[in-house]
Amino acid sequence: MQNTRYLIIGGSAAGIACAQTIKDNIPKADVTILSDEPDKPYFRPLIPYILTGKKTVSDISMLGSGPYTHRDLKVLTGCMASKVDTVNKIVFANTQEYPYDKLLIASGSRANIPKELEGQLCKGVFALRKLNDAREMIEILPSTKHVVMLGGGLVNLKTAFALVEIGIKVTLVVQSLEILSQIMEPQDAYLLKDAIVKSGINIITGKKAVGVIKKNNSALAVALDDQQEIPCEIVCIGKGVKPNVEFLDGSGIKVDGGVVVDRFTACNIPDIYSAGDVAVTYNPITGQKVLTGLWTNAVEMGKCAGLNMIGCPTAYAGTFGVMNATQIGGIPFVSMGTVHTKDGDFEVYTHKGRDSYRKVVFSKDGTRLIGIILISDISKAGIYRYLIREGRDITSIKDLIINHKINYASVMK
Amino acid sequence: MKNPKEIFVNVKKCTGCKTCEIACAVEHSKAKNLYSAISELPTVKPRLSVEWHLSGKSIPVLCRQCDDAPCMHACITGAIRRDSRGVVVTDTDKCIGCWTCVMVCPFGVIGRHLQTHKAYRCDRCPDRDTPACVQACPTGALVFAQSDEYSRDKRLAFVSEIAEATKEKA
Repeated sequence: MQNTRYLIIGGSAAGIACAQTIKDNIPKADVTILSDEPDKPYFRPLIPYILTGKKTVSDISMLGSGPYTHRDLKVLTGCMASKVDTVNKIVFANTQEYPYDKLLIASGSRANIPKELEGQLCKGVFALRKLNDAREMIEILPSTKHVVMLGGGLVNLKTAFALVEIGIKVTLVVQSLEILSQIMEPQDAYLLKDAIVKSGINIITGKKAVGVIKKNNSALAVALDDQQEIPCEIVCIGKGVKPNVEFLDGSGIKVDGGVVVDRFTACNIPDIYSAGDVAVTYNPITGQKVLTGLWTNAVEMGKCAGLNMIGCPTAYAGTFGVMNATQIGGIPFVSMGTVHTKDGDFEVYTHKGRDSYRKVVFSKDGTRLIGIILISDISKAGIYRYLIREGRDITSIKDLIINHKINYASVMK
Repeated sequence: MKNPKEIFVNVKKCTGCKTCEIACAVEHSKAKNLYSAISELPTVKPRLSVEWHLSGKSIPVLCRQCDDAPCMHACITGAIRRDSRGVVVTDTDKCIGCWTCVMVCPFGVIGRHLQTHKAYRCDRCPDRDTPACVQACPTGALVFAQSDEYSRDKRLAFVSEIAEATKEKA
């Protein structure tokens, strides 16, 4: 067993969690990680903290931090996989050949660039995804007065707050009717929107960017679909992510949006597994296939793949498409499970307070909790996650859930 | 660390007096004294809580130090690790208060400190041989023991109960 060569494509959440799991179980295992980034693995969600200078690059390093106790993992940086030969079991990267016995595809995802902006990339236009993007942005921040951010999702909002913190004016252009449309409905977001407006961030909703106006290959302004032009030095694109699957063309590995895996994180070809943003997983409530860009999901799935790769069959429990916790403008919130209820048949309870909000979503027959949004008071949110995931009959504790009085003793059988 | 001591809860013995909560808060204060702890800032918080089951029974709930701790793996900053005692601890310098750990803990035992903007939880009292809650519990509902010795004691107690019952019948 100790001679098995484990090869991992991708050096972020899923890849490192997988490598750690293999090493935890087989300390002498031969594990190699190919990472296309020049930096050693780092906690990607902390990039906004690099912008403000609150954290340094070494602060956000993964190896040796938290559960990642194996400091000496073999990570080959700057090593981008270009082809997988599944017959001879070889991965090609930078003209080198890397043979494997067990392979994990955790190549992750990259920023999604909308079609209308595809040909418009120039100096000052960013999709803040990697450490190098942050470094480039930091370089031009001193000469930046105004940043226009396209997209009202979490990544952009966190970056927007980071920029405001260091004294830069920010305008957020959101195509949907409201911010955070991927993780809540417009009427759920009022407290967060108030906090954003109060912080000085300017929000434009219902408008789309159609182009970047340039001078000497530097961004000068963003053109919106209503003829408006907003002058700015930096444009930040936060329009979601798309999986890195192109290098798998012709390999025979089944791709449908992302890499298709079974319940045991295995691909259609033996000895190949996949996890993280690049892998298609499923939603345990709806049974639907989902691609998520969630750190926590990538880690869970990577650990699971690691166990399967060492011959310890472990089923992956799936993930909700929505599973976010964070704090925006001083307001903590959690959104998970099925929270878009406009077009479905659900039993929904909302509580609108001056300082707090919650929305509780039950199945049509009212016996199962399927989603929840908690804004401001998010205490014991993990218990709801457990109830949603297990699909438990909650009839006896329904009042406690609706009134947010749940605790662990009350869910014990 | 193999087979570390853990805090067990004997639900039958808990009367819901919350002495454990007070003792925990005092232990985690700077003064380590109830009278000064009350006015301390940041506000001193207990790291366990006595909760009520639907049947009306009181149950102390605290961090179970999960083997495969969801909070540790979900943390997006690497702030949560298992220390040499086998205890899952949060590094408050690294914690950014994103509350991902709160979202994934199935026991609901990770607190949010609103003044420090950091997550907090049971740390098994690193400066003490016996955790403060266990020492303070007046009914012995909280027990600090290795899991094999605790289950052996439970088995012995159960067997002697049966022995007693059979004797009475005879």
